[in-house]
Amino acid sequence: MFRQLRARFGGPLAAAILTLLGIWLIVMVTLPQLQMIDYSLRPNLLPAQVGGPDDRLTLGNYATLFSNDIHRSIFLKTLWSSVLVTVLTLVVSYPLAWYLAKVATPRQAALCILLLIIPFWINEILRTYSWFIILSFRGPLNEVLMMTGLIDRPIRFLSGDGGVMVGMVYAYILFMVFPVYNAIESLDDNQVRAARDLGAGTVRTHRRIVIPHAKPGIATGCIMTFMLAAGSYAVPALLGSPGSRWFTQIIYNWFFEGGNWNQGAAYAFLLLVLCIGFMSLVMKLFKVGLGDIAK
Amino acid sequence: MEGSVRLDEVVMRFGDFTAIETTSLTIESGEFFSFLGPSGCGKTTLLNIVSGFLVPSQGQVHIGGEPMAGVPVNRRPTAMIFQNLALFPLMTVFENIEFGLEVRGVDKKARREVSERLLALVALEGSGPKRVTELSGGQKQRVAIARALAVEPRVLLLDEPLSALDLKLRQHMRAELKTIQRKTGITFIYITHDQGEALTMSDRVAVMSAGRIQQVADPMTLYRSPATGFVAAFVGETNRLEARLIDREGKRIRLDGGVLGELAGCAGEGVELGNGERVALYVRPEHLKPVSADAAGPRLEGDVEAVHFEGASVMLETRLSASGETLRVQLGHEVSRQYADSLTVGQRMTFGYDPADAVVLPDDRPVVDETTGEMVEERTVTGGAHVPSA
Repeated sequence: MFRQLRARFGGPLAAAILTLLGIWLIVMVTLPQLQMIDYSLRPNLLPAQVGGPDDRLTLGNYATLFSNDIHRSIFLKTLWSSVLVTVLTLVVSYPLAWYLAKVATPRQAALCILLLIIPFWINEILRTYSWFIILSFRGPLNEVLMMTGLIDRPIRFLSGDGGVMVGMVYAYILFMVFPVYNAIESLDDNQVRAARDLGAGTVRTHRRIVIPHAKPGIATGCIMTFMLAAGSYAVPALLGSPGSRWFTQIIYNWFFEGGNWNQGAAYAFLLLVLCIGFMSLVMKLFKVGLGDIAK
Repeated sequence: MEGSVRLDEVVMRFGDFTAIETTSLTIESGEFFSFLGPSGCGKTTLLNIVSGFLVPSQGQVHIGGEPMAGVPVNRRPTAMIFQNLALFPLMTVFENIEFGLEVRGVDKKARREVSERLLALVALEGSGPKRVTELSGGQKQRVAIARALAVEPRVLLLDEPLSALDLKLRQHMRAELKTIQRKTGITFIYITHDQGEALTMSDRVAVMSAGRIQQVADPMTLYRSPATGFVAAFVGETNRLEARLIDREGKRIRLDGGVLGELAGCAGEGVELGNGERVALYVRPEHLKPVSADAAGPRLEGDVEAVHFEGASVMLETRLSASGETLRVQLGHEVSRQYADSLTVGQRMTFGYDPADAVVLPDDRPVVDETTGEMVEERTVTGGAHVPSA
């Protein structure tokens, strides 16, 4: 790498770039992570006890999750809900990506992509808040539904997981649409035409031709959406009810309310392990490698 | 199984652009029919109309006597072989061939029997489990044919499928396609810009230009009696000489070639010509022969400008002494040996031809003022748009 950089930028500049990169990777990424691993493996002690006889390595913080029924159920619920968010986002994004890649004229596609991106110029918290307003008990959605006579009393959208699902699908849709769109776009139109010509209907054409081709894009979108959903804090905090707590909120509480960084670090690592596990599972299921996803 | 295709006054417009002018045509069941024309002439559009990918702006398509209006692509009794073949790269050869049967709900065992039989037909036994990406160009070609035949189409549509192959393979595949067509008895509609392909394989050929069918005929008629100047120039090579009609006696026509003196030829297929009319005379290079300067019949005198040795024959480029026009002359093996000494640049030679081989057609080119380059007068094509229905 140094040789390539030197060929392009000259020795001193290349050395500077690599040094900065090294500092960033080591100081900003690796060391803090190691520090957190270290935290997670030590008991939560008073400052006076640090370095004392009680300050020894232990897996106790990790064990807490498995002994605490509430935390464990929230952990599993986060896993399950994130999978659900991922699936819902895919269901919403796939037709959109198909439309953008193969049906829309270039003009329509450009307009559509612009409309998709514009909301993302606004801060995530504000966007999530607008959903809070839309979905609230006396909010516009209930008003409209009442007015059209579809319901005769307002629905509490925000009491269950519904609000969180809607908020997350909305927040992460671009991370699904774009990889899937890219993948579908690269499909030769004649493949679809050939399938049609051989008698395949719409569903079969997608199932046998388009989806297998778009698999790397779908895998990428699913992994990104899952990671973002599992690690999301703002959406469940704003749109969730007390009954739909997210694991990130537990981690947050350990750090900033319980003041127990050691416990929080252990929980954070468990979430990371969950995400990596999910990613490996998806890659195995879709039979794609890291290289396909990086594309 | 009835595989005739009938086009009834089909018109295709894209916005303001008319891709297909009013076209009526019947293709017989079991026929090998080609559409021949330069790119952009509308032949692929016509194929897409038959396959159902495009809905004509006007007119009707009938396949096997049944109207196809409102019948979607996947319900038509046609199968298409795409220019880029469009094999499914993520599937094996078997899966590719069996895709259409899978769609139709044929069980696995019966599907495998069909694909084995078709692989034998296209001489690819044993390649079934391979991935299509492992195959060579010619093998992919065969898989594409087998895949299309698997759904037992009444009409097979081929969109320049050989264009990606090298010359030798292309010639081989021509013969093979023809054999497969004869064996299966399926109507083949073949699209090509390569006249060699159209002439060697087809029972009949429709020559197209600018969204219009110029002539429909068997290859020999097309070559020997072109109906329009476009056909004469596009199919095979030809020399075009302008002249004025003196008189005609049966098919034989006497012409005033101006500075070229008196010329002669025969009227093209279904062409009406009047005395004194401006016409174009088409003489193919291989019909010109060196003659002595005082020989009887039409004579053309020119200076040799270039000699191209082409193996089986020699192509001469000569400049006519009288008019300065270029005349291309193809001499066969025997003749070129006989005149070996004369075949040098700068040599003056006289050529003659049998008037039965030369075709006279209306002069369908706009007359251009030579000094200004502007169009003076636009003549309508008299014999051009005439399409004999089969």
